[in-house]
Amino acid sequence: MARKSKGRQKVAMVKMPNESNLQVTFSKRRSGLFKKASELCTLCGVEVAIIVFSPGKKVFSFGHPGVETVVERFITRSPPQISPTMQLIEAHRNASVRELNLQLTQVCNQLEMEKKKAEEINQTRKANKSQCWWESPIEELNMPQLQQLKLSLEQLKKIVATQADKLLIQNSQAHLHSQFYASTSSGAVLPFESKNGVFNPEIVPSHGHNLGYGRGFY
Amino acid sequence: MTRKKVKLAYITNDSARKATYKKRKKGLMKKVSELSTLCGIDACAIIYSPYDSQPEVWPSPLGVQRVLAQFRNMPEMDQSKKMVNQESFLRQRITKANEQLKKQRKENREKEMTQVMFQGLIGKSLNSLNMMDLNDLGWLIDQNLKEIHKRVETLNKEANNSQVVAAAATYGAGPSVEVKISPEQAERQAFEVNIDAMQRQQWLMDWINPQEPMGFGGDEVNNLPFGDANHNALWSSAFFP
Repeated sequence: MARKSKGRQKVAMVKMPNESNLQVTFSKRRSGLFKKASELCTLCGVEVAIIVFSPGKKVFSFGHPGVETVVERFITRSPPQISPTMQLIEAHRNASVRELNLQLTQVCNQLEMEKKKAEEINQTRKANKSQCWWESPIEELNMPQLQQLKLSLEQLKKIVATQADKLLIQNSQAHLHSQFYASTSSGAVLPFESKNGVFNPEIVPSHGHNLGYGRGFY
Repeated sequence: MTRKKVKLAYITNDSARKATYKKRKKGLMKKVSELSTLCGIDACAIIYSPYDSQPEVWPSPLGVQRVLAQFRNMPEMDQSKKMVNQESFLRQRITKANEQLKKQRKENREKEMTQVMFQGLIGKSLNSLNMMDLNDLGWLIDQNLKEIHKRVETLNKEANNSQVVAAAATYGAGPSVEVKISPEQAERQAFEVNIDAMQRQQWLMDWINPQEPMGFGGDEVNNLPFGDANHNALWSSAFFP
């Protein structure tokens, strides 16, 4: 796939000439600015207020502990009021911020892992392309290959259907079996005993297998 | 440039915290300045730290006052509409990150399933797949078949067009003669030309008509208890709920 964007470019420190670029830049950089401010507050425990007017005259603001608090402090030039109640509120808020930061870190790590996974899969597929023509994108295949692939896929589809039936039958048998066991008193000879071979617990599939993917998400 | 990732928590080491503060404060001011210049907008920043009795500001104390006046002149609702603090801002970021994570997982699931499909094509057993996997796999196969069908149609159209053009050229500037070639003919022509490539992949043909039992028991395929049509109900849109 051809590169869509030119990557990180150096930008001249003047007002951007292109209107829509300006809008996009504002949006991205404002978001990044608030992120940096948030990190500064977390890492160094400082109080911050940032006020930004958008090209469309809307106003965005970030403040810790709050925009109003910091602005008040600046305007009145007075030292911060530290009442016991406020300290309690402050402590509470800081605790919840700590929680949120942990959560955010967790999700970001998970995201990074998934991205790495995607990269690995892409590499594998790329490496296999030369040996396995059917792994190439459909756009790159010629007519006989397309015909071939179509037939193979239709065949595979049938196999998948068969396998699905197999599982359905096994699952319903397992269900019946467990229900039966639950309602029967001990001692009686049970028609669905394992040695009859009708129900083998080992066939019942548990979960996704060692190809390395999860249980599916939908 | 950081060498290692910084943990998103209060820096307990005093000197490290002070050093970080100095660097990041400088960087933050720079970013505000750039935003203001690049987008031609008004902005201000105020930072209170334990290291200074006076706040650090951008652009200047007077500049801040100007922007604050502008800010406070706005109706209360406009001021607070896009106002965030640490908590609300972090919640927003978590939501966004979760959305990205969900999207990436979905993409990866499709990629992985594609690999499973490829392996299924060369005879790997499906025994270890659960119901959900089979569902998704079936859906994926259908998607691919649709794409192939579309592609075949496109190629046929192109083949037809080039035939028509070639024919028109041969017959010269007379009344336009439409040379109609059926899609099947075009397919066959393209097919025959590449018969060598086909023969090279003979082994794949063998897979379609298995001579030996494959991992899943090839002969089961010919004795389907239910017709193919019944299983279309199984393939819900696994990837696009």
